Amino acid sequence: MKSSNINRVARRSYSAGYLLAFLLLLLTAVPHVHAKQMDQEQTMAKLQKMTPARGYIDAHKNLEKPLGLLGGPVEVTITQTSGGVFVSLPDQRRLDPNVFGTPEMPRAFSGTPGVNGVPLMARGVEHSAYTVMKPLSPFGDKYTVMAEGKLSLKAVDATATDAAKTEDAVNMMASWKDQDGNTYEVRCCQMLAAHGMEFPTFGGVVTNHILHGFTRIGTALMPSEYAYFAFWGMGEVKKNGVVLDKPRLVHGMLTEYVRKEGYKLAFDDEVTPTRQHFHLMVAPFMPVMEEGRFTKKPVKTGFNLPNGMELPFWHVMFENLEIDSKRSE
Amino acid sequence: MVALVGGIGLQTPHPKTEEPVTVVELTNMLMFMPETVRIRAGTTVEWRNTSLLVHTITADPDLATLAESVQLPEGAKSFNSGNLDAKATFRHTFDVPGTYVYFCIPHEGAMMRGTVIVEPIVQ
Repeated sequence: MKSSNINRVARRSYSAGYLLAFLLLLLTAVPHVHAKQMDQEQTMAKLQKMTPARGYIDAHKNLEKPLGLLGGPVEVTITQTSGGVFVSLPDQRRLDPNVFGTPEMPRAFSGTPGVNGVPLMARGVEHSAYTVMKPLSPFGDKYTVMAEGKLSLKAVDATATDAAKTEDAVNMMASWKDQDGNTYEVRCCQMLAAHGMEFPTFGGVVTNHILHGFTRIGTALMPSEYAYFAFWGMGEVKKNGVVLDKPRLVHGMLTEYVRKEGYKLAFDDEVTPTRQHFHLMVAPFMPVMEEGRFTKKPVKTGFNLPNGMELPFWHVMFENLEIDSKRSE
Repeated sequence: MVALVGGIGLQTPHPKTEEPVTVVELTNMLMFMPETVRIRAGTTVEWRNTSLLVHTITADPDLATLAESVQLPEGAKSFNSGNLDAKATFRHTFDVPGTYVYFCIPHEGAMMRGTVIVEPIVQ
């Protein structure tokens, strides 16, 4: 055999061996990747089933005639007529040990990640303490300010508990403008969350109740905070008068002040109980009603971040408020 | 007109008015810039809202919810600008020497505070 043939055969053998190894790798890798994906899906399903409020929601979600609020319905009006708003930008949330515990004694890990708890694999650890939630979320310290924030909200809290039907009502219009003069608007609620999926929603509107953080009512990424008023419902997202996304899950709440110096999101022990602000959230998740869980779905906001990506949520704070409330007759 | 030395604004006379004026800006970063100004008694401070947000200039203990938000020298009167929209201004003349700590009502929780140190007029 000539040397060139030897080389050719050797090359062919080498190529064949390389190809075989690649195929073997592929054949073994595909099931491995598939299995890993299955594991993740199973883990997610388990986490979602483990939400602490699951039993409570099961007991209330088919309730046709829920009881009313003690003392009667409460009417709430919140307005902002001038001034800018704070718009949260994607950021890594620092993890409060009061809420999330420690690596030795973790808390608040169940539920759809970000909607309710934070799974352990999403937590950074340093010096035996949690640091941040690794994926970006709407609940961090980064923000921008936008002009001409306007808020007009009228609501009634009548139904006390989660139920199949509700007497609660919300009529909200919120808008603000970017530096190019584009107007962003959120309207709600064509439909209220009469009952929750992974946490209670009290008929869609709740007044005078502690939420978030350790309560597990809403995301644990927000600090535990007293909410004078809150709602959950389905609304729509507009830009310059054109509907970009509908229906979308909208959550709003008037709470004690949960920002600190530099507008950093507070831990539980840093909240200022004597000041208030209104939070508007259009979440990058959609409810899967028949399964009682949430699935990820970015919001079409129409606002592009400096890196060219569309902001996948609205988390907007209004802080120049007029607030009025009374018991209905 | 403001001169900055080591983070402290030193008052310099405004060229077009008789009374000396020191300027402090209110920002989107929830800060008074400069945060601390040092002036002579009788100087007027002008706050300019260069942000998109509504702010206040408040040195009134009755309007504060945190004790550390306000400090007034003995004999000084409290003051409050009310809501200042974007581009609005507010002026206050400081006659009583001492240290004044003031704050912004909507952003008191975010620790938006400023300090004016008023030095007596040297005869």
